[in-house]
Amino acid sequence: MFSQNGLSLDQAPPISVVFRFFALGALFGLLGGGLVFYYQSAIFDAASPAALTLTHTFTLGIMLSFMFAALFQMLPVIAGVKLTAPVSTANFLLYPFAAGVLLLLAAFNMPQQSWLFGAASLLLVPSLLWITLLMLSKLVRLRDHSSSSKGMLIALLALGIVLILAFYMTLSLTGYLEGSYYPEVRTAHYSMGLFGWIALLIISISFQVIEMFYVTPPYPKLVRRYLPLTLFGLLFVTTVAAFWLPQLWVLSHILTALLLVGYAVLTLRRLSQRKRPIADATVWFWRLGLSMLLLAMTTLVVYKLTGTALFGNLAEILYPAFALSIVFAMFYKIIPFLTWFHLNAQGYFAAPMMHEVIHPKTAMKHLYIHLTTVVTFLLALFFAPLLFISALLTILSFGWMLWQIVHAWRLYRHTQKTGEKFEMNIA
Amino acid sequence: MSISEYMKQEHRECDTIFAKAEEAVANKEWATANDTFLEFANETLRHFKKEEEELFPAFEKQTGMQQGPTQVMRYEHEQVRGLIGKMAEALENEDRDAYLSLAESMMILLQQHNMKEEQMLYAMCDRTLPPELREETIKAMEQVAL
Repeated sequence: MFSQNGLSLDQAPPISVVFRFFALGALFGLLGGGLVFYYQSAIFDAASPAALTLTHTFTLGIMLSFMFAALFQMLPVIAGVKLTAPVSTANFLLYPFAAGVLLLLAAFNMPQQSWLFGAASLLLVPSLLWITLLMLSKLVRLRDHSSSSKGMLIALLALGIVLILAFYMTLSLTGYLEGSYYPEVRTAHYSMGLFGWIALLIISISFQVIEMFYVTPPYPKLVRRYLPLTLFGLLFVTTVAAFWLPQLWVLSHILTALLLVGYAVLTLRRLSQRKRPIADATVWFWRLGLSMLLLAMTTLVVYKLTGTALFGNLAEILYPAFALSIVFAMFYKIIPFLTWFHLNAQGYFAAPMMHEVIHPKTAMKHLYIHLTTVVTFLLALFFAPLLFISALLTILSFGWMLWQIVHAWRLYRHTQKTGEKFEMNIA
Repeated sequence: MSISEYMKQEHRECDTIFAKAEEAVANKEWATANDTFLEFANETLRHFKKEEEELFPAFEKQTGMQQGPTQVMRYEHEQVRGLIGKMAEALENEDRDAYLSLAESMMILLQQHNMKEEQMLYAMCDRTLPPELREETIKAMEQVAL
């Protein structure tokens, strides 16, 4: 038990598990940038294959990879959930998942090859449902829940529903099902995915992370206890009821938007009340992300009320910008910390400090790149040729991220090979 | 009062002092930084002592779990003690960058550790220790001095 790996690593996954999911997400990000080049302004037509492909590159390829990286890391810490054999678990998920996403993206672009949807489903649905159920089963058995672990449980439940709804759609597209409920299922699928899964997971993690990492007052009990449940309940009830009353989604989306606006305002306020004085890049990524969420939800409400397409497009850019900002905020904490933590726990004297792994200025530069990327996407709504620059910046942004991962990994291996080591012989 | 409430309160107090020390270092107010860091180190070490000498043995005796979560926590305390030493060194050298970098690691390390205690261990203590033993343990912890 008292191995050189250190006891506290008992509950932490190997560093490579987290690194490989972050790297996969960054690679999909590069692909996303390439796709913007390829499709140009077609991406602004929500019903086009271009928009579908880019949306799924973002939600599945980028966000799901990042969120699994975070879950593999945070489940043991926040919820005391230990995954057995995390490396093989991660690999069982990683390869079919990566291949499945690529096939799905291809399927959107070759509608005549409907078998592609089937093949993508065969790879994606079992692997993702399996990991979701695995994580869910561990969380359900937890005796002592925090608002974070409860929120994660609910978010994973939403992910399960998203997957089942997606399966219905791919079966319809391959012709195995008639697909009479396709429009209803489609709306439920993306609503549950964007708000029930992505937003809810971010909210749940923030309950813990904001207070503890930035030393802020805790979120109000009422919010911690009821926000995740209310959000999920709202989406779930609408998913079911909308089969009879599809217009219900308008109301549901507006209510969801208002809940998320409240959350964004509250979290921005908490960040302004933080006791740690230094506003590093991660604080600014959080602030930027929450401001984007605020704007995304405001434009969504205006779109729902007026039907003006421009507001819909604005929300479609601002919402991913929100989610990505939060991911980057977490990334710049997780990668340097894990590199230091694992080496330190293995007994290396020369374990690099967090700022040596990724310097705060490097993270700040990424913040500027990310912000400029978002701004150019927004401006491209008015002046389409700007998308060329947006695409370049997207590639730069994810390339930047990928380089940080490679750099941290090389530093990790280098220290392991050359570093002097403190052998612990406690056993 | 529950073990959870009592110990959580101490975690938050340490966080607040930690933030004050960090602010002083960021502003290069070295005298204040020294005093506040010392206060942080003392409070943290006293908190660890309370756990290692009173709370953990009570838990281990009650549950018979000698090699369980308390051992993990003891090991993590050692990691924190190591970092406190390195931070003190950075402070002595008035090395702002080194201190802030170490502070970042310390904060995440401490918070991961606190999360595990607050989410799991303290809740387990509150569940397994009978009320009178709980009271007794809290009283004994209040008496612990460095």
